[in-house]
Formats: sequence, C-alpha cells, structure tokens
Amino acid sequence: MTSLKQLFGGGARQFGMVFALIALVIIFQIATGGKVLTPTNAQNIINGNSYVLILAIGMVLVIIAGHIDLSVGSVAAVVGIIVALAIRDWGIPWWAGILLGLAVGAVIGAWQGFWVAYVGIPGFITTLAGMMFFRGANQYIGKSNTVPVPEEIQTLGAGYLPEWGPNTGLNNWTLLLGILAIAGVVYGELRKRRSARRLGGTPVPLWVSITRMVALGAVIAYATVLFGSGRVGTSFPVSGVILGVLVLLYGFVSSRTITGRHVYAVGGNKVAAALSGVNIRRTNFFVMMNMSVLAALAGIVFIGRSTASGPFDGTNWELDAIAAVFIGGAAVSGGVGTVVGSLIGGLVMAVLNNGLQLMGVGSDSTQMIKGLVLLAAVAFDVYNKVQGRPSIVGLLMKGARRGRPADPGPDDSTAGTGAVPVSQNETLARS
Amino acid sequence: MALDVEWTTTQQQGRPSPGGPPLLALRKVTKRFGAVEALTDADLTVHAHEVVALVGDNGAGKSTLAKIISGVLQPDSGTVEIDGDPVSIPNPAGAHALGISTVFQDLALCENLSVAANIFLGRELRASKRSPMDIDGMELASAQILRDLTITVPSVRTPVRELSGGQRQAVAIARTLTTRPRILVLDEPTAALSVVQTAEVLMLVERLREMGLGVVIISHNLADLRAVSDRIEVLRHGRNNGSFDAATSAPEEIIGAIAGATRAVRPAWATR
Repeated sequence: MTSLKQLFGGGARQFGMVFALIALVIIFQIATGGKVLTPTNAQNIINGNSYVLILAIGMVLVIIAGHIDLSVGSVAAVVGIIVALAIRDWGIPWWAGILLGLAVGAVIGAWQGFWVAYVGIPGFITTLAGMMFFRGANQYIGKSNTVPVPEEIQTLGAGYLPEWGPNTGLNNWTLLLGILAIAGVVYGELRKRRSARRLGGTPVPLWVSITRMVALGAVIAYATVLFGSGRVGTSFPVSGVILGVLVLLYGFVSSRTITGRHVYAVGGNKVAAALSGVNIRRTNFFVMMNMSVLAALAGIVFIGRSTASGPFDGTNWELDAIAAVFIGGAAVSGGVGTVVGSLIGGLVMAVLNNGLQLMGVGSDSTQMIKGLVLLAAVAFDVYNKVQGRPSIVGLLMKGARRGRPADPGPDDSTAGTGAVPVSQNETLARS
Repeated sequence: MALDVEWTTTQQQGRPSPGGPPLLALRKVTKRFGAVEALTDADLTVHAHEVVALVGDNGAGKSTLAKIISGVLQPDSGTVEIDGDPVSIPNPAGAHALGISTVFQDLALCENLSVAANIFLGRELRASKRSPMDIDGMELASAQILRDLTITVPSVRTPVRELSGGQRQAVAIARTLTTRPRILVLDEPTAALSVVQTAEVLMLVERLREMGLGVVIISHNLADLRAVSDRIEVLRHGRNNGSFDAATSAPEEIIGAIAGATRAVRPAWATR
C-alpha cells in the first residue's frame, strides 16, 4: 500500500492527475469508437486550447498569490488587434509585431500590477475594471473590425514543425521532442533520488522510480507516435511547443526560484511573509504583470489560429483559465497550486470538450457537464482541506496511513527518546 | 534520556556569570500612547546565558517592552544599551542587525510552505550569485538547525500546516536562529499549547540558554516561567515591581508583586 502511495502520490501529486486525464481520454476513446486518439484530433485539441493553457500558466501564479485576474481575455483581445493592425497598417515585420504585442502586454501588466501591488486595490476589482476597459479598447482601436494577420503569425497559432532528415515514418521534430521529453523524465527521476540520498533519507524503492519512469515514458512515446504519424506536413503543433517551453520555464520559476517561493509565501500568509522580509509589493507586481504578458502571448497565438483579430476574441477566456487552475488543484484561498497541475486541469477541460463534441453531445449539455466537473473538483479539494488530507490518492490510501509508524508520540518527545529530527523518514525521500 | 541529564546540568550551570556589561540593558524607559503611560522608567537587563522572564497583569507593559526591544516601538525616553553601548533600534531590521530576534505571539509562519522553506523565508540561500535557489542546501541547513535544538518534526519537507502547535512554535524559534541572534525575545511562546507541547518549548528555551543566548520570555504561566527562567521581572502599571530569583522565590511573592499586594502602587487611573 505504501509503495502504491509512493507511486501515485509521492510528492508528485500531478502524477495522479495525469492518470485521471489518461482515464478520461480512454473513456472517450471507447465511447466515441476511437475518434479521440487520432493524430488530427490530438493536434486539434492542442491547437484549439493552447491559448487557454498559456493563460492557465499565468493564472495559477496569480491565484497562488491570492489574487485573481479577470482581464486576461480582454488583454489578449486588445493585444491581438494592436498586433494585427501594426503589421497590416504600419507594415512592420511579423516578429516585430510579436515583440510589440508582448511589450503592450507588459505595459498593461505594469498598469494592473501598480493598482494591485502599490495602491492596494484587490485584484478582482482592478482586473474587472481592466476587463471592461480593454474589451472596449479592443473595439475602439479595431473599430470593431476583423483584421487578418500574416502567415507567420498563423504558423504560431495553427502551424506545424517542418519535415527534415531521414524518413522515419514520423515527423522528425516530433520524434526528437519525444526523445528529449523521455530523457528529461529519466533525468528528473534520477535527480530526485540523488537529492533524497544527499539529504540523508532513503529514496523511494527503486521499482517505484522505474515504474514511474516507464509509465511516463510510455505515455510520452505514445503521444510522440500519435502526433508524429499524422498526414505529411503535420507534427506536434507549434503552439504546443510554445506551451511546453512555458510549462518548463514556469514550472522551474515557481518551484525552484526565490521569486516563485515568495509567490507561495505571499499567498500562504501575507503578514508572515512581510515580517520575514519578503517584498510583497514586488511579488504582487510580478504576478500581475507576468499574467498580462502571457495574456498578450495567448492573444497572439489565438489570432494566429483564427487567422485574424476580431472584436470578440478572448470572450470568457478568463473563466476557462480560472477553471483549469482550480481543477488543477489550486486553492481558492491562495498559497496552493502548481503549474503542471493547471496544465493538466486545462487539458482535462479540453478533452472533456472535445470528447463530448465527438460523441455528439450538444454544447448545452457540454456546458452543464463542465460546470459540474469544476464544482466536483473544487469540492473535492475543499473536502480534503477540511480533512487535512492532501489529495485524491491520499483519500484512497486512508488505511495505509494508519498502518505506518506514527510520528513520535508526545510522551516520547518529552522523555527525549523521540528525537528523530529528520532522517530515515520516508517523507524525506519525496520531493 | 540524554536530554534528562542535560536538563539537570543546565539547572546547575545555567546561572549567568556576573561581571561585564549585560548583553542588553534598558534603563528608565518610558513609553506613552497618547495620555496613557504604558511604561514608566522601566529597567531590564539580560546577560548571555540568561533567561529573563517578564511577567505582569494584562496591560502591565510587557508586550510594549518586548516591542521596544525588537524595534517595533521606540521609547519616548530612556536608553537601550547593548554590551554597555547605547543604541537606537529604529525598526525590526535594525534589531536584527544588532542581533535581536523576536518570536511574536501570532506565529509568523506560512502554513502552506515546508519547514525548511519557512526557516529560510525571506533569506533564501543561493549556491552562487547566478543560481536560482539552493533548495538542498536550505533543507540540509534546516535539518542541522533542528537537530541542534533537538526539535522533532517529521521532515524538513513537511508543510507547517501538518505540524502541531508546539512544533510550529519550535520552527518559529528555529527560524530566528538563522540570523545568529544573541538576544531572543519570546512573546507568549506557550500560550495555547498543550502541556506536552509547552514542555517541548520550554526545553527548547533551555537549549537556547546553553547556546549562550540571552532570552527574554513573556508569559502568564508562572509555573512555566519558574521552571525555565533564571530571573523573573515583574511589571505593574508600566513600572518595575520587583525582581525575583526564579529558583528560590515563592510563587506567592511573585503573584503578590503582580497583583500589587507587596508594594504600594497608585492605580493607573489615579495618576491621570
């Protein structure tokens, strides 16, 4: 039981969520008679949701810090129209358009960050105002017209990686990415074991690590074949590559940098963080500004996919992104959440959408189901918090916990015998 | 078991050595809040290897005194000396620079973060200038600090949320030690703790004294204070109202001083 817990839980809580996602995919695969796991459909899922997933990455940091950003859809829309118009009317090259868009996003983010961090207006209010203002700005600047974007931008939103090299039967870029991803998984697992040993603990049993590596590796290998074996000229989508880079980058920032740790601290206990010397204002400014920059990127990717910028781009995106973050395990009260969890939460929503659509379920029922899924996911979270249990897996393993040697009892510690400060505890070996 | 032995040895050897300027001395400190005199000519001295308890009824000025030491408040008059040199403590950062750390009554911990993350919060280590954050280094150092203090936590990676009240208090105290303070102020460290957890925290205070810190401890619990402190200073209506040797004085005397039975003190309202 304990080993099973290590396999699924073991610190990598997302691991359990990955399996929830896989289960969902398999259910739909069976229910639709194999329409979900086709190369084209898989590529469509990524292309059609990458912008929401990009938003979810920024949103999870905002929510961890204890805020919320309702303006992301409008910010994406206003950046989209500015980029489209700048390229069409000013004739600037496409890459300059992208840089301009990101810069506009940064300026908008600085504006919102200023109000949230330095004036102290709650993020909800600031970004509600931003939602109205920037929606209006999009329609004012674009005169409510639809403005087409050049092909390079379209590649960003809906394009594929080029073909090269020998004929392997797969798209070679996709193959290479898959191999790199598997190598990354193996490296990460080894690193985790080494770190556990360095701290004087015992790493999880070897077979757990190997099972984990094999399982994740198999999933990645399957995805590689799935995405790579589409019709010639298609591959893992460009927008998916952008997303992957962002997930790696922000996963790193959130878990292994001081800035990321301060975001968690501010969300967990603002007063304690301030007393400890965390610069609360700078942290809040960072998360709000970062969110708008990512919203700008999402807007650019989206106008690429839809080949034009229109007056109603980005409507309700903020809600999709927020839903993804909460399904991904973030706490409403802040301080809890992960980038990878939000990505998976977003993918759960995307697969749900896609699968129901393929099953021929109407958009009315789809909305209802999505609403219930969100509610159920968060209810689960709240229930676990009340119970002091960390995850679904923790709940399933309720019995296993009791069987483990209990923490040194209070009687022991007064007598001084229970003094096993750290070491030889299996929790140490987790990451 | 090993601890029991150490406990008795500290009881015997833990007495402060006289001679030399005290680590910390407050002389004739007065603090007013509007018309209210929270402190009037209050004195306090703390030596290295000494635990000084500060007792008094509610509103006697204990917390005000602690806040002056920790730089949260500034005295209206009087001097604060460290090693015999007068200093001013303009803010908590200034207190840190002078080697004074404070653990406030409401624990300043982030419950969502791990023990190690809390211990180094705001002072995260980097392996080098360029590297992002030395997580392993901080966990190792935290484990070392906790081991030195014989604090028992499941793991330095355990979120503080999952710790008991006593363990949280211990972590809160441990985190102040990362700045290597010489003076530690503990404001009600055992409030709202169970008997066993209180014993753990008091044991920790013993250990801090062994490490050579001067400790100022504020509490309402006389039994606890008599067990752990060397000297008990009584405040009443913002004035010193007696100093007692914790080992020899009777609790009745101390309670008398707290309640104002042993010394005629005009009530606060009469002086307005």
